[in-house]
Amino acid sequence: MAHVGLIVNPSAGRDIRRLTGGASVVDNYAKRRVAECVLGGLTIVGDPPSVAVMPDRVGIASHAVEEAPAELDVESVDMTVEETAADTRRAAERFRDDADVVVVLGGDGTSRDVAMRVGDVPIVPVSTGTNNVVPMPVDGTVAGAAAAVVAAGLVDREAVTYRHGRIDVRADDVSGETRLSGLATVGITDRPFVGTRAIIDPSELLGGVVSRAHPSDIGLPSVAGCIEPVAPEASGGAALRLGPPDATARSVRAVLAPGVTTTIGITEHAPLDAGASATFDVVDGVIGADGEREVELADATVTMTLTDDGPRLVDVDATLEAAAEAGILIEER
Amino acid sequence: MTDYTLETEAGRRESLRRMLTIREFDTKAGQYFADGEIPGFVHLYIGEEAVAVGTCAALDPDDLISSTHRGHGHCIAKGLDTELMMAELFGKEDGYCNGKGGSMHIADVESGMLGANGIVGAGPPLATGAALSIDYQDRDQVALAFLGDGAVAQGQVHEAINLASTWDLPAIFLVENNRYGEATPVEKQHNLSQLSDTAQAYDIPGLTVDGMDVTAVAEAVKEARKRARAGDGPTLIEAETYRYRGHYEGDEQNYRTDEELEQWQERDAIDSFKRRLIDRGELTEDDFEEMQAAIEEAIADAIEYAQESEFPAPEEAYDDMFSESVPEIEAFAERIRTDGGSNGGDA
Repeated sequence: MAHVGLIVNPSAGRDIRRLTGGASVVDNYAKRRVAECVLGGLTIVGDPPSVAVMPDRVGIASHAVEEAPAELDVESVDMTVEETAADTRRAAERFRDDADVVVVLGGDGTSRDVAMRVGDVPIVPVSTGTNNVVPMPVDGTVAGAAAAVVAAGLVDREAVTYRHGRIDVRADDVSGETRLSGLATVGITDRPFVGTRAIIDPSELLGGVVSRAHPSDIGLPSVAGCIEPVAPEASGGAALRLGPPDATARSVRAVLAPGVTTTIGITEHAPLDAGASATFDVVDGVIGADGEREVELADATVTMTLTDDGPRLVDVDATLEAAAEAGILIEER
Repeated sequence: MTDYTLETEAGRRESLRRMLTIREFDTKAGQYFADGEIPGFVHLYIGEEAVAVGTCAALDPDDLISSTHRGHGHCIAKGLDTELMMAELFGKEDGYCNGKGGSMHIADVESGMLGANGIVGAGPPLATGAALSIDYQDRDQVALAFLGDGAVAQGQVHEAINLASTWDLPAIFLVENNRYGEATPVEKQHNLSQLSDTAQAYDIPGLTVDGMDVTAVAEAVKEARKRARAGDGPTLIEAETYRYRGHYEGDEQNYRTDEELEQWQERDAIDSFKRRLIDRGELTEDDFEEMQAAIEEAIADAIEYAQESEFPAPEEAYDDMFSESVPEIEAFAERIRTDGGSNGGDA
């Protein structure tokens, strides 16, 4: 029997952008309902998959198990709960071994945590956070339906999934070597501390590397996308160096955060092939991955390397289209 | 005026110094309470230092705060004098409230500290009232209420936030979620996992920050202050933190495990900020030891000051309570003065 993992990040969506930008609040009641929709969506196939849900202390998983459609075999993953991102990583590791598809409810940070541990298992990232590039703003039921179709092997997995890129970072400063990875973007800000983690002021962005780019994305991928779009499944990406708009020959109007458009000065935009690196010198700043400030640096050299070897993502539209074309969703009498 | 923002190197060192001062003050308060020298109760702030300091570093010196029963940290972060504070804890007349308030009632309006409070959830109405007067008198200030996770379920807290939201007052409500209301875990008190979600009910922004990171708390309060001063109304900030000591000194703490405490101590706000300043080249181990030694000396002086101060006279028990003279109290004070209370001190 096919098996689907479900990860809901209880703490996504409560950062400072509710105060500084136009981000909306997604409370746990809403997340619970989306999780229930995902489970409902899984019943689109005749022989629905079994489901394991990451446990939490706030009742999202337990409600999902209790409210699940009768024909679904749903259980909670047996694991300790720390109420940190470690829970997501631990659940993803479990799903690496036994799931055919993992549905992830959260933001870019949650998607990244899953992606780094889930191996080649395809994921369906559904947006519940803000500043999202990777997670899709898709109805939970539709996401669940696509997950069921892929998990059951009813369509060609290779045709309806794609590999997302990844950016691997190595930073060297006085405190030693630090490594981190981003899925869509790794950026540098000149704010000295991680603080509330969200990138609040676009003028503090110094540059970075993106693995995808489109003007309809948000953050650094939006900036790069204004110059030259790169599809999520395309190889390579771009390196960007930014400056004050009045001091650079070129600037773009981009979406940096929910509710905010900004003029961003471009010092340099360089397409970057897979395997290639860009190096940045950081005097006093923070590197952030996928919209969150992560590592404080002083007098550091930061090397960002693009790879095509990121997580495998389910293309929800393509999956359901292929299912329709194959007649899977039709019942004749 | 002391540079006390996280934007500058000097301000960051001052922030570290205040966090250390809170820890030393409360460590000594705990010791002298155990020795029986401090009357009443003490509720120590150890572990939560980044919340008070991050908050007050982001406020302007003229801004106003209201506090809780666990208020020593708020006082020190706001710049109150540790000698006068310690004298108050000892119940001595040189204390902030002439020794008649004690640990849970330190107030100093001149420093912008509207009062610690023995009543859970009594601070937010003070802050809303202060914000109303700021708004009415068009002053360039904000009023911030510290409150605990337990207070979030109090009726008066709802009234205070509701009114401040409805009138767009320059207020900030800062919930110190230290995981326990006395002995009750937060998940057994509330149906919400994030207390910042309550902000939605008032149609104001609510956010959750890492209360073990002074930079995170300061950044959130700074943005909330901007919003308040722009006339856009209050913000609710939840800082996730942890108290290392019991609810009160003497608390058996059988409601939590040593492992849980150790997990939080691994993320200690002082250790982490110290390390970050050293990494930035703004502090050396020697500087830190020097800072620590100076603080230990200052708190030892505060203890000595408190010990040497006198208890307030019994006939002053009702002083500073009523703005108009109350004949029965005058008569009581007179009796105490003339016969030392041997014929009964009932007012």
